[in-house]
Amino acid sequence: MSQIIKPSGQQLLLVLIAFALLIFVTACPRKGPQNEPGAQGPQAKDSPGPPPSTILAGRTLHNPPALTAKGDEARKAVAAFIDWAGASLPEEHEDGRKALAAARENQDVVKAFTEEITKAQRTDHSRALLALSLLGEMRSPATEGFFHDFVNQPFPEGGTRTEEGEILQQTELATLQAKAIDALAYLHSPRADEEVLSQVQKHPSIIVRSEAIGAYLWNQQDKEAARRKLLQFVRKDEQRYIDQITRVEGERAASFNPKLEAYLKAHPEVAPPAPEGQRQDYGKPDQAPKPGAPPKY
Amino acid sequence: MNNKGKNFLCVVLWLACLSATAYGVCNQTSSSQADRDLWNQHGCWQDFFLWQYRAYDARAANWNNRGFFDACNVNLEYPKHWNASYLITYKLNDNNDQSWHGTIDYRSAAEAAGGNFHNHIFHLAIDDTSVFGRFTPPDQVKTSCLLYDNNTVGANNNPASRAGDFIHEGWHAWNARWGYNGGGGSCGHFNGPNGACTMSPCGCDYFYFHGVSVYVFGAMWENNGTASRFHSPNQVQVEFLCDVADQSSAPASVKVAARADANARAAGRFINGPGYRCGDPRPW
Repeated sequence: MSQIIKPSGQQLLLVLIAFALLIFVTACPRKGPQNEPGAQGPQAKDSPGPPPSTILAGRTLHNPPALTAKGDEARKAVAAFIDWAGASLPEEHEDGRKALAAARENQDVVKAFTEEITKAQRTDHSRALLALSLLGEMRSPATEGFFHDFVNQPFPEGGTRTEEGEILQQTELATLQAKAIDALAYLHSPRADEEVLSQVQKHPSIIVRSEAIGAYLWNQQDKEAARRKLLQFVRKDEQRYIDQITRVEGERAASFNPKLEAYLKAHPEVAPPAPEGQRQDYGKPDQAPKPGAPPKY
Repeated sequence: MNNKGKNFLCVVLWLACLSATAYGVCNQTSSSQADRDLWNQHGCWQDFFLWQYRAYDARAANWNNRGFFDACNVNLEYPKHWNASYLITYKLNDNNDQSWHGTIDYRSAAEAAGGNFHNHIFHLAIDDTSVFGRFTPPDQVKTSCLLYDNNTVGANNNPASRAGDFIHEGWHAWNARWGYNGGGGSCGHFNGPNGACTMSPCGCDYFYFHGVSVYVFGAMWENNGTASRFHSPNQVQVEFLCDVADQSSAPASVKVAARADANARAAGRFINGPGYRCGDPRPW
């Protein structure tokens, strides 16, 4: 049998102070060896794996999951496809495109993608972005309504603001809506084009307006006619975005550099002023131990 | 409320503040698909993280409650930190006729070692969610929960954006190394909104346009006091993200995230913007 003693207020206060001091000591930055460069290395609780070269050598390439299922099975197939696509390597890109094009008419697959996007938008931005890309690549007429609704999701006016002034909720939604704009422009139906042009003008975020300009232009055959059309919608102080310089994947210097030269000639106003400050060498010798070259795989 | 009550309340509030300091506010219970996809390419490579903590001068005192001693758990901050370093160290193509810059440039900006890119720096994590990252002179590169936490709002909790921020903050150290003030704004950039930059009150840079192959690999640090040979922090970040998106062997989820971040920054963070656009707008 034990006796229960009710502590007085003062005793309780002392206990709390002692506990607080304990936490304070834990929180204080350590001046000991743990804070010395290179003094104590990281450790793993799990067994480390083989080197990446072994992992990559064991991977089966060019084998995307099929997108042929119907009903509930379509949901599983789409989830597996998104997993595969996210991990896929550049040399598997065309495999993904072919599988998506082949599934264009599968309404259950389209629906499963929209469900995955809706779910991932709440839980994992990188997966939502990826799934939007994949659904857009399908170029299915059945996606038009979904993408139309997606780019018209209410844009947050406020939220968590960083010191620089970025509102995180705005950037999060704008980057996803920009991907939905890519999908609409790629769909290239009259209604989808109309929506893209509308967003060039009215979307509250420059991230989406800029993407709408670039995506509309890229998807039109007649570039000059597309430019004229864009000029009817683009905000007056954003006309330069129509000429934005793009480096496309695999583009060489011989192709890119003349484009840049032409852009700078057409827009002399973008020439920046000299950097602020006086160039001076404040370099100091680094006495810290050197780690050497990174390991080879 | 009597005096005893007030004292009690005071102690409780003090304790709450201290607890937040001690245990942090970052949620370390999950990771993004992009983090997991990159992670699965190396499967927790011990040789690398035992090199990385020295190369980035990541110290146990700063990372011990963030996975420093559980370095194969991809949900934790330190493993996510070294995952991003892996992207910088191994995944770029280094095509001199196509890439903006080479691995040697991005590594030199991000890693701790002093030299032409900056004086010695070290990496630590912070719980301050009012910034993605911060360079605190003379030598601290801090990255925040916004680059690690997959459970809260944000578009940047992926290895590409995290690595891009290492380079961005490292470039503030480059500014300090060479005597530039970055624009004189309160945050190491120009104040805004200004020109095509929509950031307010701060966070605007100029874009110093240059062609492909104009900087040989290893020469990104070069500057001559004029706009003809110079980079701003947001610019090196965009160029790195573009190289991940278009010139790398990273998994697709990482490349898609890199492109989105690069294009968002190019659209809204440059006074003389937009900066370069990365890749064509085909969805996939």
